[in-house]
Amino acid sequence: MDWFDSWALSLAVFIPVVGALVILAIPKAREYQIKVVGLVASIAALIVGIGILSRWNWDDGGYQFEVNKGWLSAIRSNYHIALDGISLPLFILTLVIVVLCIIYSWNHWPEPRSPKMLLFLILLLETGMLGTFVSLDLILFFVFFEVTLLPMYFIIGIWGGEQRIYASIKFFLFTLFGSAFMLVGFLALFFLSEPHTFDIVELSANGGAAAAVISSTAGLWIFAGLFLGFAIKVPMFPLHTWLPDAHTQAPTVGSVILAAILLKLGTYGFVRIALPILPQAAHSWAPWIGLLAVIGIIYGSLCCLAQTDLKRLIAFSSVGHMGFVMLGIATLTPVGINAAIFGMIAHGVVTGMLFFVAGSIHERYHTRDMSRLGGMLSSIPRMGGVFVLVAFASLGLPALAGFPGEFTSMLASFEPAGGLSQSLFRGFMIAAAVGTVLTAGYMLYMLQRVAQGEVPGEYAGHHLHDIEAPEYVSWTPLIVLTVALGIFPSLVFNVTNSSVVPMFEQIFHHAIGG
Amino acid sequence: MLIADAIAAPPSDWWAIAPQLVLGGTAVVIILMICVKRVDPGWNALVAAVGTVASGVFAWEQWRQVTTDANPRLAYSGMIAVDGFSAFLVLVVCVAAFLGVLLADQYFKREGIDRGEYYALLLFSACGMQFMAAANNLVMVFVALELLSICLYVLSAWNRDDSRSQEAGAKYLLLGAYSSAILLFGIALLYGGTGTTNLARMAEIFSENVTREPGLVLLGMVFVIVGLGFKIAAVPFHMWTPDVYQGAPTPVVGFMASGAKIAGFAGLFRVLETGLAAFEFDWQPLLVGLAIVTMLGGSILAIAQRDVKRMLAYSSIAHAGFILTGLASGTAAGVRGALFYLVAYVFMIAGAFGVVALLARRGERYTSLDDYRDMFRREPVLATVLAFFLFAMAGIPGTSGFVAKFAVFTGVADAHQWVLLTVGTVASVISAYFYLRLVVYMYMRPEVDEGEAQPAALPRVRWAPATVVALVLTVFFTIQLGILPQGLLDMAGKATLLF
Amino acid sequence: MQLGDYLPIAVMGLLALIFGGASYVLSGLLAPRKPTPEKLQPYECGIVPEYEPPQRFPVQFYLIAVIFIAFDIEVIFMYPWAVRMRDLGMFGFALMGSFMVMLIVPLIYIIREGVLDWAPRRRHSRDELIARYRAEHEAAAREEAA
Repeated sequence: MDWFDSWALSLAVFIPVVGALVILAIPKAREYQIKVVGLVASIAALIVGIGILSRWNWDDGGYQFEVNKGWLSAIRSNYHIALDGISLPLFILTLVIVVLCIIYSWNHWPEPRSPKMLLFLILLLETGMLGTFVSLDLILFFVFFEVTLLPMYFIIGIWGGEQRIYASIKFFLFTLFGSAFMLVGFLALFFLSEPHTFDIVELSANGGAAAAVISSTAGLWIFAGLFLGFAIKVPMFPLHTWLPDAHTQAPTVGSVILAAILLKLGTYGFVRIALPILPQAAHSWAPWIGLLAVIGIIYGSLCCLAQTDLKRLIAFSSVGHMGFVMLGIATLTPVGINAAIFGMIAHGVVTGMLFFVAGSIHERYHTRDMSRLGGMLSSIPRMGGVFVLVAFASLGLPALAGFPGEFTSMLASFEPAGGLSQSLFRGFMIAAAVGTVLTAGYMLYMLQRVAQGEVPGEYAGHHLHDIEAPEYVSWTPLIVLTVALGIFPSLVFNVTNSSVVPMFEQIFHHAIGG
Repeated sequence: MLIADAIAAPPSDWWAIAPQLVLGGTAVVIILMICVKRVDPGWNALVAAVGTVASGVFAWEQWRQVTTDANPRLAYSGMIAVDGFSAFLVLVVCVAAFLGVLLADQYFKREGIDRGEYYALLLFSACGMQFMAAANNLVMVFVALELLSICLYVLSAWNRDDSRSQEAGAKYLLLGAYSSAILLFGIALLYGGTGTTNLARMAEIFSENVTREPGLVLLGMVFVIVGLGFKIAAVPFHMWTPDVYQGAPTPVVGFMASGAKIAGFAGLFRVLETGLAAFEFDWQPLLVGLAIVTMLGGSILAIAQRDVKRMLAYSSIAHAGFILTGLASGTAAGVRGALFYLVAYVFMIAGAFGVVALLARRGERYTSLDDYRDMFRREPVLATVLAFFLFAMAGIPGTSGFVAKFAVFTGVADAHQWVLLTVGTVASVISAYFYLRLVVYMYMRPEVDEGEAQPAALPRVRWAPATVVALVLTVFFTIQLGILPQGLLDMAGKATLLF
Repeated sequence: MQLGDYLPIAVMGLLALIFGGASYVLSGLLAPRKPTPEKLQPYECGIVPEYEPPQRFPVQFYLIAVIFIAFDIEVIFMYPWAVRMRDLGMFGFALMGSFMVMLIVPLIYIIREGVLDWAPRRRHSRDELIARYRAEHEAAAREEAA
């Protein structure tokens, strides 16, 4: 199986794009074939992912399935890909979510109906996302990071709601703006490091020794550039304004992929690139990141309370949840990073699921205005039940997926890394705890308006379909994950911890001296 | 008698100017064809295409013979230099001319102004561009510039029944003549300061430090930069560009935008990097400033445009800024990036104008943004191709545009010019906005607002084989250079070695 | 040569500017103004124009003049060669020969394009005209016979 070890990642990354090209070749009228090809391509990638899981060495925290081939020798950029405990969960999550999205759309395609284009874009998007998670070369990372931009832009712009053009352009320009500064940061890293390299592993080895020659001022600036690129993607307050628009306008599958995976590219970038390569700069910026994260938590929750649009509410809740993730990262401790990665996975599963349900609700009621919704538990009880379950997971009820990540993140901020102000981070912790209360508040308020109560008069005579077959198929895995992650958080923590701990020993013991 | 001996055996190195000779010769053959009997201009186009390919073969042979360690091979008393730089750009000019020929036939037949002379003029112009690439003497630079420009003046006004085309030709002629005068003045000052027009000799004089008049040289340098700045359409010498690009027949614009820019940059690179290399610390800040205002100016002004051709004109101005950035970095990596950018740019701009020419229909009626509404539904293939070129120009990874920008910025970062680098990236984001807007119009806006009457559907655009070949070539290379750019990057690197 | 040597030129330029500017400003200030519609027309030798300016007009004179200048100047290149013809030998001959070809091809071209035709261009060849005349003549004869 040697060939598998060296080819598995490339296969998983590029199978979707091959599928996309095949779809392009099929005439538009043969819709069934198009759908089958799309599904098969995404499932094939998932099978490769399962193969990777089956051959995964769970005790090894280093890079596995590594490939390092020359690519652009002129600029010393290599095709260097691998997975470790930090990227593996996100990688698998991506594979799963895309399959579920395709299944979910099987019978209801958003208007204007064009399965061919939508599937083409989704598969292209999948390649971009998978590639970002496996890249260990800054340029390769950047290329994949940007590749995700276009398909999502089209998905929002073509299949979105009323304000879709505004939302899609805003999404595109915000992200492009950030990534432009990120690219400047990458180039600066390359030319200021010794030896010149784009390789993430080399740059982060020995506590960012290659980058240690960079003066601390330059390091701060470079980190700021990277921060802009990643923080816009996360999104962190005050760079989050594209998110509610994009989420509200995007079609269901677009929202799901955006929430479940695309946002993680930003936080993943912090964990994979910004922290290990520039630990000292990270240390200087950490209080500010923590502050913004906490503001994000509180602000996101308060905004949620004011929303009337269901999807917009969920979007703002993402700002809050990603705030917890960033708070975990800002503590610069193994516990915090573990919490952050868990938070990413949990948010991907739970919020993805929330957007699925919100999409289905919109399809049935033809509105997302919560004042016109209501009585789901009595009119469509199964979907109402699922919705309640997921909402509880999102508000952080113990034994569901939302809890372990947020709790651990707060735990980590009780004891931040050496040199960071303890009292400050404990203040952050208290604020975050207030945030969880607010989260519970708006989630319950939402449930009260949407799930409970009477069916509004305008829908009284209508028969609303409860969960349908494609929805069952696409939701079951996520619901199972929601419960499983809540009960056995070690499922994820074991994997991530095996990589996070060695990473921290490498970085912070060298750089900050414990 | 002595004089007679000295001129008795002048060396004639036909091989050194073989690509130029082939292009010029082909143009003469086309004129002769017309003299004998006017046939369908398609035949003239065929001859022209064959000529550019043959010229490209010679250029390729020159390229293969270029050695990296030796001095440039000089010919005609140092008028012509054959080195990696010249062979590389001569080859690129062949590509631009080839695309120009392919894209022309269908358009001019549609407009009813197809005449064989077009191809002869195009080839003469390309011949001038090639001489520009190989020029090693300021006089040669000027002669080559005039040869290419005069042909382009005529080509811009080719559609003489169309007042827009007339206006374009007249404007281009006036401002072009003006810029030539400035360039000539600069050349005269440089001659006054050094006593030679030969660029290699000029560099020697500077290295011997016997400059008689540095003030004259500096003044001459500024005038040369301004004169060539007109040709490459750098802000603030760009004023003619939007009007000319909007008015001239679209295939001419495609050729002009790619070819004239190659030639202008060839001259600029050669003069600054060879002749005035000793004054690098003087011209570098000038170019940095020029690059910054060009990138920002082109990108920002493009946002205000409602006409697609005009928008692409401003976009080409912005591209000139990015290419200048590579030169302004003063590093080998930057120049290499700039050369790569030129190649990528040729394919992108030729392809984009090719599509715009098709979509504009007879009489170039449909070029405003609103005419592109819902183009994806009406012309799915063409809209997708155009969107692809737009994304490439915006620098989205996976296309040659990204690698080109990246290669240029690498050079800038190598020089640690962080301000220039930041401005460059910001400008590229700004430029993404107007590319994106056109995509929005093509993909996301309905053809008419609600309540308006649906206009009568236009017949589908027909494709001539030559157009298809040109578009396939441009798309292919834009992708290929985006995914596997190594080969061309190496070539561009080899082309910069001699500086 | 010093940059200072150019000072007279600069002074000259300055004087020219002052003179031009002063005449313009002074004539504007001093000249009496009694505009009539005719006076506001574009200047055309004092005659009130009868046509709109952008009418087409024959350019034959201009063409001939331009062509004359073009070919006239090319001849200058031949003088140096003629002086040194024997020394330059076959090389010079070949070079001048190709130069002559370059000149002759455009000459043929412009003649074919009708630059030297002063009358409106003949649209039909002589044979065609004869054939048409005959056809008309025969048709008329047939009508008469009928």
